Amino acid sequence: MEEKNNPLSPHLQIYRWQISSLLSITHRIVGVINFLAITIICFWSLSLLFGAESYLIINNFLQSFFGKFVAVGLCWTFSFHILNELRHLFWDLGYGFDLKISKITGVLALLGSFVFTILFYLIGKNIF
Amino acid sequence: MVQFSLPQNSKILKGKYYQDKSGSNNLKKVNVYRWDPSKNENPRIDTFEVNMNECGPKVLDILFKIKNEIDSTLTFRRSCAHGVCGSCAMNVDGVNTLSCTKSHSDIRGELNIYPLPHLKVVKDLVGDLNVLYKQYESVEPWLKTKVGEKTTKEIKQSQSDREKLDGYYECILCACCSTACPSYWWNGDKYLGPAVLLQAYRWINDSRDEDKKERLKKVADELKLYRCHTIMNCTNSCPKGLNPAKAIGSIKKMLATS
Repeated sequence: MEEKNNPLSPHLQIYRWQISSLLSITHRIVGVINFLAITIICFWSLSLLFGAESYLIINNFLQSFFGKFVAVGLCWTFSFHILNELRHLFWDLGYGFDLKISKITGVLALLGSFVFTILFYLIGKNIF
Repeated sequence: MVQFSLPQNSKILKGKYYQDKSGSNNLKKVNVYRWDPSKNENPRIDTFEVNMNECGPKVLDILFKIKNEIDSTLTFRRSCAHGVCGSCAMNVDGVNTLSCTKSHSDIRGELNIYPLPHLKVVKDLVGDLNVLYKQYESVEPWLKTKVGEKTTKEIKQSQSDREKLDGYYECILCACCSTACPSYWWNGDKYLGPAVLLQAYRWINDSRDEDKKERLKKVADELKLYRCHTIMNCTNSCPKGLNPAKAIGSIKKMLATS
């Protein structure tokens, strides 16, 4: 075809989100967040070497509302990533590609991540 | 770098509004993507009011009605109108499908029709699929045998080997799946995409083919194959009910176990 100023047809702008595509992009974003979180957690444990004072700084942060939000948020991101990664592992084994099954496992992973988050929270609160 | 937004020349403008002249009480508003290569304008969305009392059951019937009765310049591809040729693939109500098999009664409210996503638009609903056809050619979609005496005889296939092609040979290459795939949007020049990989698997999996190893080797590439992240938009959109995600998964598994 001759070179013309042909437009590009719309894509992200118009494509309807599916459960599968939403979970897929969430998996990616959550993966990046977890990567950063693990790095920060490493620095956190490193800072403990500097004694009680540095411990207090982080403790104060985690006691604040924002700190709690971050902690609970990370419980969710890790739960979701682990459960959704299980789906990927089964796909790699060749199972779960059926449209219905992949939808069910997707919803299960999402619901499961919230259940795990609540469990982690309760365990953290020493309720059990 | 991936560009998530549309380039300047592709931004969509508001187009014309075609009011109904039949006085029908059963109207459907149909928004259609339009772009005319003879004018130096951006694409636009035209809205047509269509009298649904006198219209066939499929989305393609609506397009024909618009072309016949309202605006004859509307351009789209179609041929068989029975879901066999794959010409009328387009984005209907946000999902790629064949307009000839999609019932418009499934869709409530206004009906949005766009060309297949992330393609160079030729005119209106017609996208340029040349890249995809080149990629299809690259997987050599024909039976390959070692040259010898054997080739003069019919190569037989057992029933169970033939059944291994079920769910793959039915592909009509309408490109609904490939153009539904975000990975293919961002890496369409290198990643082969679900349609072509399903075809590749169809030939890898054919018991009569003698080039399986080479075929696998050729497709085993970070960009060609492993850009598939099992987003499953392909399987969700396939109008023939096939499963390209599974085909790609099977190729990956074959590579991991061979």
